[in-house]
Amino acid sequence: MSEQPTAWIFDIQGHAVHDGPGCRTLVFLSGCSLRCRWCANPEGQLMRPRLMVAANRCADHCTRCLKACPQGAIRLDPLGTPGKRLRFDRSLCDRCDDFPCVTACYHQALSICGRQIRLDDLMRILQRDRSFWGPEGGVTFTGGEPLVQADFLIAALRECHRSWMHTAVETCAQVPTADLLSALDSLDWLLVDLKQMDPARHRQGTGVDNRLILDNLRAVASSGWSGRLVIRLPLIPGYNDDPVNLAATLRFLEEIGAGELEILPLHRLGQSKYEQLGMADPYVDQSPPSQERVEEIRCFFAAGGIACHCGGDRPW
Amino acid sequence: MDVLRSESTASDDRSTTPAVELAETRRRPGPRAKRLLDLYLAAYSSATNEFPYWYTRRYMQLDGEIPVVRRATALKEAFSHLTPTIYPGELIAMGKAHYYRGSFPMPWLSEAYYMAKEDELYQAALAKGATSADQVSRFGSGGGNVTASFGKVVSIAGKFGIRQEEVPALLAVARSWRGKSVDDLGHRYEQMVPGYPRKEEIMRSIVCMFDSGFTLPQGREVINYYYPLQHGFDGLLALLDERRAEVAGRADGDGLVGMNRLYFYQAARLVLEGIQAWITNYAGEARRLETREADPVLRQEYGELAECLEWIAHHPPRTFRQAMQLCWTAHVAVLNEDCISGLSPGRLGQVLYPYYRQDIQAGELTDPEALELLEVLRVKFTCLDCFASMGVVGGVLSGNTFNNLSLGGLTPDGQPASNELEELILEAGIRCASPQPTLSVLYDEKLPEQFLLKATECTKLAGTGYPAWVSNQTAMNFLLDQFGREGMTPREVRAWAIGGCLETSPCSWMELRLADRSYPIPGGSGQPTSVGVHFVSLPKILELVLFDGLDRRTGRRVFEPHGQPLESFEQLFECLQRYFSQAVEVLTRTNNIQHDIWRKNNMAVFHSLLKPDCLDRGHHIGELGYRYNGTFNIETCGTINLVNSLAALHTRLYRERAFDLEALQEAILHNFGYRPADQLGSYSLADQQKAEGGERFDRIHHLCLTAPKYGNDDPQADTMLARWEDWFCAMCRTYESLYGKPLYPCQISVSTHGPMGAATLATPDGRLAGTTFADASMSAYPGTDRNGPYALFTSATCWDHSRSQNSQLNLKLHPSVVQGRTGTRKLLELTRNYLRRGAFHIQYNIISSQTLRDAQQHPENYRGLMVRVAGFTQYWVELGKPIQDEVIARTEYEGV
Repeated sequence: MSEQPTAWIFDIQGHAVHDGPGCRTLVFLSGCSLRCRWCANPEGQLMRPRLMVAANRCADHCTRCLKACPQGAIRLDPLGTPGKRLRFDRSLCDRCDDFPCVTACYHQALSICGRQIRLDDLMRILQRDRSFWGPEGGVTFTGGEPLVQADFLIAALRECHRSWMHTAVETCAQVPTADLLSALDSLDWLLVDLKQMDPARHRQGTGVDNRLILDNLRAVASSGWSGRLVIRLPLIPGYNDDPVNLAATLRFLEEIGAGELEILPLHRLGQSKYEQLGMADPYVDQSPPSQERVEEIRCFFAAGGIACHCGGDRPW
Repeated sequence: MDVLRSESTASDDRSTTPAVELAETRRRPGPRAKRLLDLYLAAYSSATNEFPYWYTRRYMQLDGEIPVVRRATALKEAFSHLTPTIYPGELIAMGKAHYYRGSFPMPWLSEAYYMAKEDELYQAALAKGATSADQVSRFGSGGGNVTASFGKVVSIAGKFGIRQEEVPALLAVARSWRGKSVDDLGHRYEQMVPGYPRKEEIMRSIVCMFDSGFTLPQGREVINYYYPLQHGFDGLLALLDERRAEVAGRADGDGLVGMNRLYFYQAARLVLEGIQAWITNYAGEARRLETREADPVLRQEYGELAECLEWIAHHPPRTFRQAMQLCWTAHVAVLNEDCISGLSPGRLGQVLYPYYRQDIQAGELTDPEALELLEVLRVKFTCLDCFASMGVVGGVLSGNTFNNLSLGGLTPDGQPASNELEELILEAGIRCASPQPTLSVLYDEKLPEQFLLKATECTKLAGTGYPAWVSNQTAMNFLLDQFGREGMTPREVRAWAIGGCLETSPCSWMELRLADRSYPIPGGSGQPTSVGVHFVSLPKILELVLFDGLDRRTGRRVFEPHGQPLESFEQLFECLQRYFSQAVEVLTRTNNIQHDIWRKNNMAVFHSLLKPDCLDRGHHIGELGYRYNGTFNIETCGTINLVNSLAALHTRLYRERAFDLEALQEAILHNFGYRPADQLGSYSLADQQKAEGGERFDRIHHLCLTAPKYGNDDPQADTMLARWEDWFCAMCRTYESLYGKPLYPCQISVSTHGPMGAATLATPDGRLAGTTFADASMSAYPGTDRNGPYALFTSATCWDHSRSQNSQLNLKLHPSVVQGRTGTRKLLELTRNYLRRGAFHIQYNIISSQTLRDAQQHPENYRGLMVRVAGFTQYWVELGKPIQDEVIARTEYEGV
């Protein structure tokens, strides 16, 4: 077993109930091909360890991390408020490998997010968790974008299927078509985000246009794959909830023959992670869409013949 | 993509199969139950002197009488003189005292604790450590607790209000028991146990929470309603007469206690007469109200109530309502006979099912009518208060009375025992959400999915934390192991139910005949549980090991110095075992004496009559009249803080040698550089504040906090748990109760993790001094379970739960995890797959920490909010702050 596939991950969560049928374990693979402005998992965008700073835990009297950093990436801001006196030069931190500052911290204020895991270690965890899943549950690979590490993902899916596990992948579909199609071989469910139908608007929100994504969806839909395809619409107020985009989305679903759409209203649960990463959160002031608005949109798709659901209504 | 569409439809079909209502909205009680529940929420815990006065007066006149007859005569006197009160709208009547939320002290058990603090009796109790737990216990100041006197109401025992003019008589009655109570008499004899002074030090340092024999001598057991249901009180009197005639003057081969049977039958007769008079007085009050009531609806209700009471005072019940009233009457009678918490109605839905079925089939009862009765019965149970010392009622029970109603399980033939009435009980629990009776599902793989989903829906929607989920198979394995030696069979074990909080209790099947049909109904047949050694603080024992037997909080020596340098983990573990064993040794012996005094002068008479096989054998509880008697136990608290501390010591001190023992001792004495918790008024680790100069302990605190922790499927911590359980479960069996049976472990914290944490210095796991321990026995310490519930479950099941009477795991879930129809099914999967691993118990708080924080800030908006603490559900506002802080701090599983 010298050639164990290895991947960068930033979390494994047991008892996830939203991303696929039954009770599931979520494997968060690092690295992403998009940069969505509303990203809820910004710590998973890069395929490397990220320094997280929990300012509320930082002790005012302590400067151990500052002294430990050989790069001088941490400096003291004499004007900083309690817990926020330290400033981190993230461009340096994002090139660091051993994070002596984290080792030096006595207050669990600094931590590393992101680590490498071998496939056999991952399988050990999944084999443990599966006894809690129940008959409908399984594993969902998400991220980041899990197909950024396509070799590992495909090997992992194959291994899971060999062990009779139910598999799902949550993808943005901004990935090489060949990778996506070969993942289907060992896949039961595919959850794909469809964020914006207009290429320019798509680029505005995510950094790339949507041509590859739409092509990939067409490819999956016509591939003869027997699994379940669930298209998901992350509902971002002011970005993709306008009638034009909604109508275009409906037309596209009809075009590829997709029968199901899940609405994922914008949520702000990732907010503290932006702070911990020292990143600006572009959606800091954006409130989630109202329940009424979500219901209107759901009805719009339902009227178009799409099985559309949201939150607690989801049929799995 | 037609394939997808059709698959989606198929899945929808699957999910609609269970015919359970899965509406997400909180359902409300019916108007009658709502009125009665609102009255409860407005009522204060109120004490009266009526029962103690009449009991004491008669008892003191009977010097020289046979003890059991003397006690029975006094009980008869007291029952006959209780003032009956009936509240408008009550369908089920009778209560402990004439107040809506009434109770009374029993000075024949213990009289000192509710005296004024300056009273010499109280001071004497303080001196011997009997009230030390009171000093570290806190009541919630909200709700119906009377924690301070106001107007002409005097607060006694920290929680109960009593009318000022009753106080002199209350104290006079109490003083007359001086030297005679179980407490006082037991104290005279317990001092003869070698090493007795150590017991006082153990109590004073809160290594142990409280005494057993004079605090709550009965309870944490399942009542048995069979005999009154089958025979009625007149029928029982006739049976007693018959038996009395048979045994009078005969020993029948038993030269020791054979002759005592005569006195027991006579005593049982006397108490029954008192109970009949008590019921008849209530019937009379109903008739009185009937004659003067102007409202025709109410007038008719009083008339029907009077008729019901008049009937059950003498005869076996004929209807569902009469059967329910009789069960309730018997329940309150037992609670008035002795100081009891955790008298569980057991599998009431199976006991009452014959009547329900008969009435439904005859068209004399409808489901809405049955539901209304079940709702108002919930209010009656919720109104029960238990009068005991503040350390017991506040520090241990948080004011809860633990009338745990069990559902599900198996029939004598091993078939699912759940029924339609149990589904109505669940529905009543959803609609009329109230702390009592709390519900427990005896989960078995054979139970129908429909029933399990209904129970899961109750977990979700009642918002109270009930039902608890316990494993039928794990419990039965424990029971057969413990009670096989007393003749328990695989058929009989299936009758079991939860007694009290989570105490697995032995029960029996009794054949109920109703209208020419026979039904096996389950009912309690064992002695009280959670008697014996009450809550040993495991982290405190470890602290004493680290400080060579000296309590550095009080400056008092608790154990003889072990004199070991603690150079290896093995040496440390041996010292831990030694101190723990020493504590158990002296506590077992002193508590055996207390219970022995209790059984000689204060034995259960009516309660004995109810339980198999006292009526057949002619012996009360104290003479092994019950079918199962090996129910005494050793309770522990703070298991997980002990396990985490051992893991920290093993890893950091002994393996890595990251610091030495002296440095750790110094850090502990300096609370890792933090200010004391009580100065801050918060008992949650997250809120603690650094003291000036505290930084010098940063490193060691960091090392302790980041040492391996239980709940993460980390073998370095989990092996500590497995090792502790392996030793502890075996060692309990080497101690013997006064009934000559081996003890067993009981691992539930109830509320003791608050006060016991308050009396414990910082611990090697990084927990700070005075802060609350991890709750229960299998819950992770708040915030330390970082790998999700599956890792936690894996850690929790690294040992065999059936070797212990129980284990306990409370999980806080964010409401989003259980949202929707599928959320209900996923919650059932979570529960079921934990129990399938051989775990004993799991229970949920489905509420966000944000809501709880708001409730702490604005209690006035949350009078009705209930949370699950550790084995019980209680109104948030009636919880002490240390426990509130702990519930808030629990890791919240969100599954985003």
